[in-house]
Amino acid sequence: MPAGRPGPAAQSARRPPPLLPLLLLCVLGAPRAGSGADTAVISPQDPTLLIGSSLQATCSVRGDTPGATAEGLYWTLNGRRLPPELSRMLNASTMALALANLNGSRQQSGDNLVCHARDGSILAGSCLYVGLPPEKPFNISCWSKNMKDLTCRWTPGAHGETFLHTNYSLKYKLRWYGQDNTCEEYHAVGPHSCHIPKDLALFTPYEIWVEATNRLGSARSDVLTLDILDVVTTDPPPDVHVSRVGGLEDQLSVRWVSPPALKDFLFQAKYQIRYRVEDSVDWKVVDDVSNQTSCRLAGLKPGTVYFVQVRCNPFGIYGSKKAGIWSEWSHPTAASTPRSERPGPGGGACEPRGGEPSSGPVRRELKQFLGWLKKHAYCSNLSFRLYDQWRAWMQKSHKTRNQDEGILSSGRRGAARGPAR
Amino acid sequence: MDLRAGDSWGMLACLCTVLWQVPAVPALNRTGDPGPGPSIQKTYDLTRYLEHQLRSLAGTYLNYLGPPFNEPDFNPPRLGVETLPKATVNLEVWRSLNDKLRLTQNYEAYSHLLCYLRGLNRQAATAELRRSLAHFCTSLQGLLGSIAGVMAALGYPLPQPLPGTEPTWAPGPAHSDFLQKMDDFWLLKELQTWLWRSAKDFNRLKKKMQPPATAVTLHLEARGF
Repeated sequence: MPAGRPGPAAQSARRPPPLLPLLLLCVLGAPRAGSGADTAVISPQDPTLLIGSSLQATCSVRGDTPGATAEGLYWTLNGRRLPPELSRMLNASTMALALANLNGSRQQSGDNLVCHARDGSILAGSCLYVGLPPEKPFNISCWSKNMKDLTCRWTPGAHGETFLHTNYSLKYKLRWYGQDNTCEEYHAVGPHSCHIPKDLALFTPYEIWVEATNRLGSARSDVLTLDILDVVTTDPPPDVHVSRVGGLEDQLSVRWVSPPALKDFLFQAKYQIRYRVEDSVDWKVVDDVSNQTSCRLAGLKPGTVYFVQVRCNPFGIYGSKKAGIWSEWSHPTAASTPRSERPGPGGGACEPRGGEPSSGPVRRELKQFLGWLKKHAYCSNLSFRLYDQWRAWMQKSHKTRNQDEGILSSGRRGAARGPAR
Repeated sequence: MDLRAGDSWGMLACLCTVLWQVPAVPALNRTGDPGPGPSIQKTYDLTRYLEHQLRSLAGTYLNYLGPPFNEPDFNPPRLGVETLPKATVNLEVWRSLNDKLRLTQNYEAYSHLLCYLRGLNRQAATAELRRSLAHFCTSLQGLLGSIAGVMAALGYPLPQPLPGTEPTWAPGPAHSDFLQKMDDFWLLKELQTWLWRSAKDFNRLKKKMQPPATAVTLHLEARGF
């Protein structure tokens, strides 16, 4: 179309050099280098061999091309020229090659054995597959997310290095119902894993195994028998929040939500909390957090950032006494404890927060109480409630203290004795 | 159209019919609209993006094929690749292509190439390679859609496949693995060449669309052959 075409000067300025040779090449006249496969053939084609074995190969030049002779032919393996002493002419049109003690294939697509003409052009090629048969996969472990699906993971035998492409297939069947099924969704959680999304039956055990196959053979793992209800796990508890506890410098309050599946599937959950200081790699674990959705961490360092995670284990599934599998840890949440108050005569420079008493004798008792709490499992309901009661009482007494000193001292002493066990 | 990693497309019959059913984008309202300019620009940008994506995909794939395929000066014989749409063309022929033909050639080329690329999803390739290939195919599908958009905006019909000329790739199951590797090599090369050429094609189209409104009207009336 003539309209709108830029002038020749502009066009030549625009034309990029690399494309020019290509554009000038006329399709019909383009010579095809060598017309390889028509002129020679390698035998054997695409053989599969065990590591350490030998190979005799031949490159036969087709007689129809004028001047076709095996003279001057040479071999390359994976792009590297093979020493001439390994090859010899069998007859005028055939060159033979002898390879011994083969190593495992350099790439899983096969080693490239190529027969070249004297001028270097490629006449024919063959892919060599040198490797080992697969070894028995082992260590199968499976888990079910909320009883809806099954994810399994395994370890390939011989660390998976067979030098050949090895296909892993996870199979499963109900113990007394005969029909084999194959898992379809691979690489769910890593290279040797598979995910079965649906159609799983409860109350009857499954038999699960992994079959590994490659060109040289196959292997089958031992059969794992399991009941879906025994390997249940859930998502980690959502919405984990960590916050300070008023002005208390050595405590943090952790709150979370129970996993939604709990309601759907009527199981109970137990939780575990772990926390660590920002720069440390050592986690402290709080166990025995049964069926609560909050916990208070005590005995922490003031003015420090802590990372906290929570995980969950379902149990009591349909009345079973067994625990399930621990979920993943929740995403780490962080919070920092308040900086420690400067110790000063009678109350110091800090503002009391939330009605916390700041005068000397009361702080002493507070410290005693906290000291006691540090030594005990902090997540039991009793101490939590009791502490809150104690605090509420202290708040009230702080207000009335100004009105009547005398009554307060006797009441305080009584309260101090209360929590001590 | 979903491309799951691991889908194997038959060697003999390429399920390309879906490609031909790319919905025709309704032609833009000619009065007071920006014209096909923005979508040509978008198509140009897409070819550059794909070119970039292909570079890393081809690098990985050729490493998987192993030397000598990943050597820079590797030039094997071209066999059995007559069915590949060739980007190389005589300069005068290329220059004299009208817009419709230029766009049609691009559209047909990428339809074929996409089909072959899907067949490339070899059984033996690693899961990661299959994922990269699938991702590239999706991007290429996007390019096809973009070209279709430009054609529709200019009022050109999308090329329909003639019966019996559905692209079939391999010569058959007797095809040796080494020959298959060579085919794969040339497919990637041809794809690369087409993307280079397309950038020039769309750049040319872009420059043509730049003139003011009156010239555009003339242009639109003039097309029809």
